[in-house]
Amino acid sequence: MELLVNLIINGLATGMLIFLLAAGLTLIFGLMDVLNFAHGGLFVWGAYAGIFTYMLTESFIVGIIGAIVTGALLGLLTEKFIITPVYGNHIQQILITLGLMLVLQELIKVVFGPNGVAVKTPSYLAGSWEIGDVIIIKYRLFIIVIGFVIFGIFQYMLKRTKIGLIVRAGVQDKEMAQALGIHIKRVFLYVFMVGAALAALSGMLMAPYSGVIYAEMGMEYAILGFIVVVIGGMGSFSGSLLAAILVGLAGSFMAYYVPVLSLAVNMILMAIVLIFRPQGLFAMRKERTS
Amino acid sequence: MNNKISLRAFAFFLLLVIFIILPFVNDSRTLLILLTQIFIFGILAMSYDILLGYTGIVSFGHAMFFGIGAYTTAVMLKQMDHTLLIFVLSIVIGMILAGFISFLVGLLTLRLKSHFFAMLTLAFSGLFLVLAEKWRSVTYGNDGFTFRAPDLFRDRMTFYFFVLASLVVIFLALYRFVNSPTGRILIAVRENEQRTKSLGFNTLHYKVIASVVAGIVASFAGSLYAVSLRFVNTSVMAMDITLDALLMTIIGGVGTLVGPLLGSAVIEYAQHALSGLARDYPIFERWIIFFGILYILAVIFFPKGIIGSLRLLFGKWRGRLKQRKTTGPLPQEKERFE
Repeated sequence: MELLVNLIINGLATGMLIFLLAAGLTLIFGLMDVLNFAHGGLFVWGAYAGIFTYMLTESFIVGIIGAIVTGALLGLLTEKFIITPVYGNHIQQILITLGLMLVLQELIKVVFGPNGVAVKTPSYLAGSWEIGDVIIIKYRLFIIVIGFVIFGIFQYMLKRTKIGLIVRAGVQDKEMAQALGIHIKRVFLYVFMVGAALAALSGMLMAPYSGVIYAEMGMEYAILGFIVVVIGGMGSFSGSLLAAILVGLAGSFMAYYVPVLSLAVNMILMAIVLIFRPQGLFAMRKERTS
Repeated sequence: MNNKISLRAFAFFLLLVIFIILPFVNDSRTLLILLTQIFIFGILAMSYDILLGYTGIVSFGHAMFFGIGAYTTAVMLKQMDHTLLIFVLSIVIGMILAGFISFLVGLLTLRLKSHFFAMLTLAFSGLFLVLAEKWRSVTYGNDGFTFRAPDLFRDRMTFYFFVLASLVVIFLALYRFVNSPTGRILIAVRENEQRTKSLGFNTLHYKVIASVVAGIVASFAGSLYAVSLRFVNTSVMAMDITLDALLMTIIGGVGTLVGPLLGSAVIEYAQHALSGLARDYPIFERWIIFFGILYILAVIFFPKGIIGSLRLLFGKWRGRLKQRKTTGPLPQEKERFE
């Protein structure tokens, strides 16, 4: 029982972090038709900038804010200078965002040094609760709560507010949205910034969870994010949550029962999805047939 | 036209002669090793260009095939015997393995759109990297292992000539390949996949062929690389190898075979020179940043690379010289089908 609960909590926490990363990816893809290979770079910059602020101010909350601001700013620059010039050309987009990933990752080493940085969990989130004979680590629960809160906020925004309406309209048919008088380029920019901020937040929250941050972690987690986006269906927000939880749980259970397969399980999941349902498990229906 | 081709062939021949004579004129060990490295990565970059430049698909998993070749050769030379026969055998086995895997991966993923393909190849090569790390009994993980090269290749010079000869053979083979009917269809897929499909070609079939050819050649480059270092570790499977190939292809010029070779020379030389500078200026230790920035700028402003841009320039100049008829195809379009 204890084992089961722990494995589930572990899987959920990892899943939530991947969800935050994948949510930005999937929104950006759905709206702009851009697969951002630099997303991992934004993730790792969020982690470093957030931890840097956290260590400077000794306040975890300020650190989180620092990460989000850094992410949004980098998102702004990326959209303006990297994505806009190659808009509409898929191959160039793939190539250029990968180049940016490279630059971001190396810049981390220049700015913060090439070695990993050890991160401590803030005291009020460290430790664990004991409920009966089940031990629950506080920080993991914190991540899960944050994940669901963010999912709730975004779901509300997307489904209930005017901004969400515009974004959803853009995802469904951007030419039509534009024809109806929406400045779609600006929506692109904002969505990109929000996606980048989510990636940065994910990186920041990941830091105390894994205990150490290093420049290469961006790529590692970005791959998990891509897998989630494929499984969940490109452009599907709630799909990415479900897929992230699936990937998180599969990873945590496999790591315990069949450790050899733990790294391959996500790949296998993705391969199965791609063979039988290439549009993703929870893909939104799109009018366009492109 | 005939005249031009023979001129080009003459230039290549001259270059080849220079490279054959060079070791006898200047027997600097560093230069020899650098040139060997340039040739090996030139082979890799050419194989990558079959995918990126000729078929128009972006793969982020090319290191996987390079690594397969490197590990096959290294493991066989270590576990069995360091003879020439085993070396040749290991190259062949590596190529078969790489061909088989690229066939499977291609069949599974090439049906998808470019985004998915790029992503999936990234994930697959990640899987192979993990495999190389975990299968410690054979690969010794990240520490890697040294092995003895065949006696013939003890001498750097012999190996240099062997690599040079391989480069020439592969260059000619790939040249034939991209100018064959199959190669033409690959270019058609790049230009407009939908239209190629409408013309009755099974584009998946051709894309898989391109992927298999690229995989096999990359594996060959990997085998050579392993022998050149006499050491192998997981870095041969790492993303960096793919990035190197990508960089060389983009900077040299996509869609040409000479471009990647030139790119390889530029990148390898710059790496060599910058790592020398790094001793004095620590910023150059992160030389990859400069390449990253250069690469981003190249994608935006310079998407044809050095060779492509030169050709465009040269084409325009020649066009003006000949007072071409306005009814002909635009210079850019014609250039692509060259």
